[in-house]
Amino acid sequence: MRYFLKRFGFMALTVFAVCALTFFLMNAIPGGTAELILKHTFVGLEESATEEQLNQISSRYNLDDPLYIQFFRWVKAAVTGEGIGTSYVFRKPVLYLLALRLPATIQLAGASMAIAVLAGVSLGIYSALRENRISDHILRVATLFGVSMPCFWVALLLILVFSLKLKLVPVAGYGSLENLFLPAAALSLHSMAAVMRVTRTSMLETLGQEYIRFAKAKGLPLRKIISRHALKNAMLPVVTVIGFQMGNLLGGTIVIEKIFAWPGIGSLLVDSISARDLPVVQGCVLAIVSMFLLVNFLVDMLYTHLDPRIRYG
Amino acid sequence: MKNKNTPMCIILITLLVCASLLSSGCTSSEGSETAEVAYSNTLVLGEMWEIETINTVSGDGGTLICEKAAITETLVGANPDFSLKPGIATSWEQLEENTWEFKLRDDVFFHDGSKMTAEEVKFSLENVIAENPRVASMLKIASMEAVDDYTLRIETSELNPILPGVLHYPDTAVISPSSFDEAGEYVKPVGTGPYKFESFDEQTRVLTVVKNENWWGGEVGLDRMVLKGIPDPNTRAMAIENGELDFTVDVPYSETDRINEVEEVNVEKYKTPRVYKLDVNLEHEPLDDVRVRQAMSYAIDRYEIAEHVLYNVGEPAAGPFLPSMVWANKDLQPYTRDLEKADELLTAAGWVDKDGDGIRDKDGKPLKFNLMTYSTRPGLPPMAQAMAAQLREAGIDVEPEVMEYGAINDRRAEGIWDLYLAAYNIAMVPDPEYILSNWYMTGGPDNGPGYSNPRVDALITEARTIADLEERYRKFNEVEAIVYEEQPMIIVAYYGCAIVKKDYVSGYVFDPTAHDYRINADMYIEK
Repeated sequence: MRYFLKRFGFMALTVFAVCALTFFLMNAIPGGTAELILKHTFVGLEESATEEQLNQISSRYNLDDPLYIQFFRWVKAAVTGEGIGTSYVFRKPVLYLLALRLPATIQLAGASMAIAVLAGVSLGIYSALRENRISDHILRVATLFGVSMPCFWVALLLILVFSLKLKLVPVAGYGSLENLFLPAAALSLHSMAAVMRVTRTSMLETLGQEYIRFAKAKGLPLRKIISRHALKNAMLPVVTVIGFQMGNLLGGTIVIEKIFAWPGIGSLLVDSISARDLPVVQGCVLAIVSMFLLVNFLVDMLYTHLDPRIRYG
Repeated sequence: MKNKNTPMCIILITLLVCASLLSSGCTSSEGSETAEVAYSNTLVLGEMWEIETINTVSGDGGTLICEKAAITETLVGANPDFSLKPGIATSWEQLEENTWEFKLRDDVFFHDGSKMTAEEVKFSLENVIAENPRVASMLKIASMEAVDDYTLRIETSELNPILPGVLHYPDTAVISPSSFDEAGEYVKPVGTGPYKFESFDEQTRVLTVVKNENWWGGEVGLDRMVLKGIPDPNTRAMAIENGELDFTVDVPYSETDRINEVEEVNVEKYKTPRVYKLDVNLEHEPLDDVRVRQAMSYAIDRYEIAEHVLYNVGEPAAGPFLPSMVWANKDLQPYTRDLEKADELLTAAGWVDKDGDGIRDKDGKPLKFNLMTYSTRPGLPPMAQAMAAQLREAGIDVEPEVMEYGAINDRRAEGIWDLYLAAYNIAMVPDPEYILSNWYMTGGPDNGPGYSNPRVDALITEARTIADLEERYRKFNEVEAIVYEEQPMIIVAYYGCAIVKKDYVSGYVFDPTAHDYRINADMYIEK
């Protein structure tokens, strides 16, 4: 129990540190905040802004206050449950925007994660069992492609093949299972390859262990050896990689959401950064960090079940 | 806790959660799909920006709602040559220096059924002035008075000859007070246009409009129009190829000719009121030398850029205005490439390649500039590269840098730049004075180069008090001729727009005065 308290304490601290860092970095990047907000909301990027207009925006959003006061005000509102600010561009509470956009991102990242884990682990096992045979080689070369191809390019290729040539799924949109297929596949490719590589290596290592030989000697069928003995022991490094891949997936959504016009927080985050819509950037980063921490917390919990020798506390 | 199956359980639960999320996604769209069947004459439009807001008052929804969704209308309209024409105002008159009177149509009804009178026009202008600093500073309205139901009198705070032009700007479009709820919060646009607001899905950001049966302008072509924001140009191209869209704009320029070949899809290329121009920092030597600037203009091959960088989505430009604009100086021709003339001018200015490295130098200093540009407009980065290569052939070393917009702002404010390539709007308001005074007058807000010519300042100031349009335009033509000669900004090309639509979309007429594109009421689907 004490461990959990400590763990949550650290998580809260991490969230705070990331928020603070985001806030000050956002204010440190070049370009006047008020000017860019004005240009994104009223004026148009290339047009000029007058001093009067800038002052009006600055005073509307209290941008002239010292940074630490602005940050303190934000933290206070967040902690007391007042909300985490109002978007400059959308003129809506950030929490409301997140509630609209977050499900789409969770859906996309969750589906990609599911594809990556299911396909990655099973292909990894298959590849390990067929070590150094032709199918293993093909799979290993395929993973190299998977890791090295940028996901936006894969996304365009997938659209070309599955939408334009085969007419199986629509190009872009949101709402149905059909729409989810391409973005999730494009996004998962990288993680799938990583999971597969680790599963294969770890599986091979485990299969060389003495207790596996013993299980074989005992006369257990291969299927049982894999599922009962080998897999569980080989999963530890795989689970670690899965935890890390979550960060990768959340980062990937930023590009993928733009391409597929997917209404998630990735595309919201990018637009908000260029518009210097600070409250929204803060909100998105907060959501992404929390998701990442949560997944890694779950992964750590999974450790103790996979290997009872690991104890926290 | 020691249960062997726990990890499996966790994975299963995770998958179940994913699955339930997926299925929840499916069910939410069912309602809208069944609704679509009821309308046959529906157009699906792929908008080029994400639809962030439908708020026309305190957000940037003005252009979308007025020009692309055709929900609202402005008091003043514009002809293809950018001269003004009546909109929902029938006529206007400058009674005194600062007093204007607008007569309104008496047969215009809002979508909520109420009649539009001068009171509502006053109301919507007051709202936008209070919320939108940009529009307020262009309108310069001190007070308004509804003289009778169909007459609005406007007092400006200073002489403002462009007032009717500003009232063509989509953000000034008229909305009914019922666009707001009782608490004064903006809910939806209730306008007077050919299409009525039906729904806006805040999650998928799909905007749907339906035909306004009682439009004052007559019959409306489509029953329904669905607007979807698809920010990626490649995705828009593939979506219309795949039949998911009926109409879209600005697919990648390099793809326009290929897509035009696709069955049932056609691509039309138009010029829009925007120019690609190169600002020259006149405070940096030797860019203050007019000969160097002219030489640069001669070294740039505008025709090659239009053909190979823009794929003819855009055309070589001479002055800041489109030749089709009524006030444009029609005598000006784009600078054609002439490396000999460039050599002559640069040699006269003392820039010769003494050390034989291909770059001209003077007093041991090479002729070298940096060139900033940004990537949000796809034509800019390749154009910067092409210009750098062309200028190098004339012995000028140019280093292009593609930067984030904020960084460019900072560099410009600090003066750490030589050349800046950007795409500027030239008819935010259909009036020449606005652009000429912003760009070329001493201290003008868009006068990045720091250009100052007393003759130009005098001509623009004189023109302000001239009521006769012909005479007024003559002054502006002279300004154009001067800056054509002096090249403080090197105008490279007119910005283009590629309209991509299915063959069965009929009656579309491109409006060059629109800010991206305008959907016209007579557009329909041919069955």
